[in-house]
Amino acid sequence: MESATVAVGHDHADHHHGPPEANQSSRIDRQTLGILLFIVSEVMLFGAFFASYFFLRVVVDPPSWPPHPYELPVAVAGMNTAILVSSSFTIHYALESIRRGNRTGLKLGLVATWLLGATFLFIQINEYVHLGFSARDLSFGSIFYSLTGLHGAHVFVGLMLLSFATIRAFRGHFGPEEKDHLGVEVPGIYWHFVDIMWLVVFVTVYVL
Amino acid sequence: MKLNEAAVFKWVVIVGIAAAAVIAVTLLTRPLVGSLLGLVLVIAGCIYGYRWIEQRWRELGAKKSGS
Repeated sequence: MESATVAVGHDHADHHHGPPEANQSSRIDRQTLGILLFIVSEVMLFGAFFASYFFLRVVVDPPSWPPHPYELPVAVAGMNTAILVSSSFTIHYALESIRRGNRTGLKLGLVATWLLGATFLFIQINEYVHLGFSARDLSFGSIFYSLTGLHGAHVFVGLMLLSFATIRAFRGHFGPEEKDHLGVEVPGIYWHFVDIMWLVVFVTVYVL
Repeated sequence: MKLNEAAVFKWVVIVGIAAAAVIAVTLLTRPLVGSLLGLVLVIAGCIYGYRWIEQRWRELGAKKSGS
């Protein structure tokens, strides 16, 4: 019995090189599980910033919010929100296209998403330049720049991921099979998360 | 249904509609009313989201054991 086990062990060692296969969930592929767990951690990070925001606004309770004489450009931010929300539709279009085998649609959707994301970031930076207050001005300035800046950093990371996906799409890397377009699927999930977070940031900071 | 981009996209639409409702109520009434509606929607969304994830996870498990 012992010799049989040893023999099997030797046989296995002869055929397998390198470290053992990593364990993975039987229900979900590792890339999707990874991005979902990452998003959960990101939700907690944003949650900490929202907790600070509501503490300053509700518990500290200043006479007016935003404090006088500061004003937030709600119309510009609203337009920016429309731009970012539409970028979720374009990335969805890109993925639906590659699922049907339409490579042109994939490229078109990715380029449109990248351009919309870059426009959002450009408008936000332009907004920062013209706001008239900085992160040093009161706790309001600090939390405003922290929340919107944290989100802007996420948009920047999303743009980097989209850049890689777009370059790969133009080099013909993706296919209609599910395992063949994970390189777009994972940035797509991240981009939707960034979009959802902006909706929450916009409603909380600019509207309420 | 799988846990993929298409499933997450539906959440973008759901959150977008919820945000539009909060904005409309805030503009029509007062920010406090909009905040309360937002709080109710967040709680409802958390309950719905938990059930959604639980159901998807169960479906994925059943599909795997069936195959």
